[in-house]
Amino acid sequence: MTAKDHLASSQAPAAVTEGSGAAGSSPALPPGSGPVVTTSGLTRDYGGVGLFDVDLVVPRGSVYGLVGMNGAGKTTLLSLLSGLRRPDRGAIRMSIGRHKVAVCPDVSDFDDWLTAHEAVDLSRSLLAPGAGGGTVEAALAAAGLADSADRRVGGFSRGMVQRLGLACALVDDPELLILDEPTSALDPTGRAEMLAQVAAMRGRRTVIFSSHILADVQRIADQVGILRDGRLLYQGGTQDLINMYLTPTWLVRIAGETAPIAAAAACQPWAARVEQAEPGAIRIEATSMEAGERGIPAVIAACDARLVSLEPADADLESAFLALTGASSQGEK
Amino acid sequence: MTTATAAARTRRMNLWRLEWLRLTRTPRAIAVCAVFLFIGLIEPVATRYENDLIGHLSRGAQISAPPPTPADGLNSYVTEITTVGLIIVVTLAAAALSFDTRHGISTFLRTRVTSTWQLVVPRFAVSAAAAAAAYLLGTLAAWYETQVLIGSLPARGVLAGVLCGATYLSFAVAVTAFAASLVRSIVGTVATALAILVVLPIASTYHAIARWLPSALVNAPADLVNGTQHLSHFVPSLAVSVAASAAALLIAVRRLAARET
Repeated sequence: MTAKDHLASSQAPAAVTEGSGAAGSSPALPPGSGPVVTTSGLTRDYGGVGLFDVDLVVPRGSVYGLVGMNGAGKTTLLSLLSGLRRPDRGAIRMSIGRHKVAVCPDVSDFDDWLTAHEAVDLSRSLLAPGAGGGTVEAALAAAGLADSADRRVGGFSRGMVQRLGLACALVDDPELLILDEPTSALDPTGRAEMLAQVAAMRGRRTVIFSSHILADVQRIADQVGILRDGRLLYQGGTQDLINMYLTPTWLVRIAGETAPIAAAAACQPWAARVEQAEPGAIRIEATSMEAGERGIPAVIAACDARLVSLEPADADLESAFLALTGASSQGEK
Repeated sequence: MTTATAAARTRRMNLWRLEWLRLTRTPRAIAVCAVFLFIGLIEPVATRYENDLIGHLSRGAQISAPPPTPADGLNSYVTEITTVGLIIVVTLAAAALSFDTRHGISTFLRTRVTSTWQLVVPRFAVSAAAAAAAYLLGTLAAWYETQVLIGSLPARGVLAGVLCGATYLSFAVAVTAFAASLVRSIVGTVATALAILVVLPIASTYHAIARWLPSALVNAPADLVNGTQHLSHFVPSLAVSVAASAAALLIAVRRLAARET
């Protein structure tokens, strides 16, 4: 049974089903028009480690970031979704045809003696045998490899091989793209290009990607799932998660002396803590979001200080991730 | 884009062309042909001058041996190919059939094919065809050298011997496919396949089944050219080899399909 056979199977211990799924070019997929992938109680136990009772819901047209520490179960989950591994229990339901699912492994690999064009054409011949030759050139161009189409893969950098993997996945215009650590081998420029490319897919196709680089996930994912020790701790909107763990703390940058502002803020009844963060900046923690939002601008205005910036502190996915996984481990203790 | 690259792009890729490119763009095709050809050219020469060589090495001692016959020329080629050639063919096949060795390639292929047969059949067929072609090339070289240096060989016997030898090598490739379904690495696959092929002839000590075993084909070319056996004698082992190859491929496909990456 191949990965594709497995996705189509309904005889496996875990029911894996798919919907009718329209073939051909995928139209714009409005986010929120129903999940493209759902799992229920998905479990793969490798003797105490693995994946346990994961109920995944991936909205159609979304960019879904799967985050977690090493060994959290990200690759196992993506392998189960790809059909490369079989679950012990649980069910996977896909609302699209299995031929519209493309997979990019964490380390793309090709025979060194193939040219980039041949590698993508091989993918085309397997995924979309009826597609015209122009689809190969289009996929190579989309991955930024048009100029290297006739070069052999053996001379490619890791980043180019990674992009070639993406070109091979895109050649059939998939409705669901599964990417395992897509930026792991890329330099900063290549990483930025890859992220921009994935972000641009939102609404046109559904993307599930794993990463341990939380800044990447925050930048492009509108949905996020957080795994820890094989269990899904959170899934939902990325911004919702950040807001959920947002503390009423702000970083205030002032042009000039910060001491008068710090002194004035410390006297306020709503100020829980005031401290020097760095030269020219102070960190103010309020008793509530509303109190800080009203009080801090008033203090700055009263001191006639020149404000450079006022921003919420720790308002990022990393802080939320650490707060969530930290809180979870404390709860278990 | 140059004319050459434009022409290359018009040849559309598929899993059969992939295997052809694996042979021709790497040293595999040249290596397997060169080894068979070299042995085919050198062995009849060594057989023709064997007595002279022994005489020189024995420093004047009188050693008398019967002069070589034409069958000896081909027999020496077959004997050498049974070891060196078999190792080369099994290594060639293992490199193609061990597609799970590299995770990225395995994922690429397994998430795109609808049946594992699609992966195994071209790899088996192209490897077996390459082995048969190399065996034929070596036999033709040995035939020519024997004809020139020792004497003529019966054409029908030589060609029947090629059929038996090529069938045995195809069986060896099928065994390699089976071995690739047992272990993931290329080295492990080569070792497992060779172990099976080496152990199998032990069963021929039980005479009732000896002529049915694929290993009976190993010495068939020599028996066919010296007239001790007719091709009909080897029909059972040819039939068993084909059936066993099919069975080995079937089991290999089932095991590879069940394997997780």
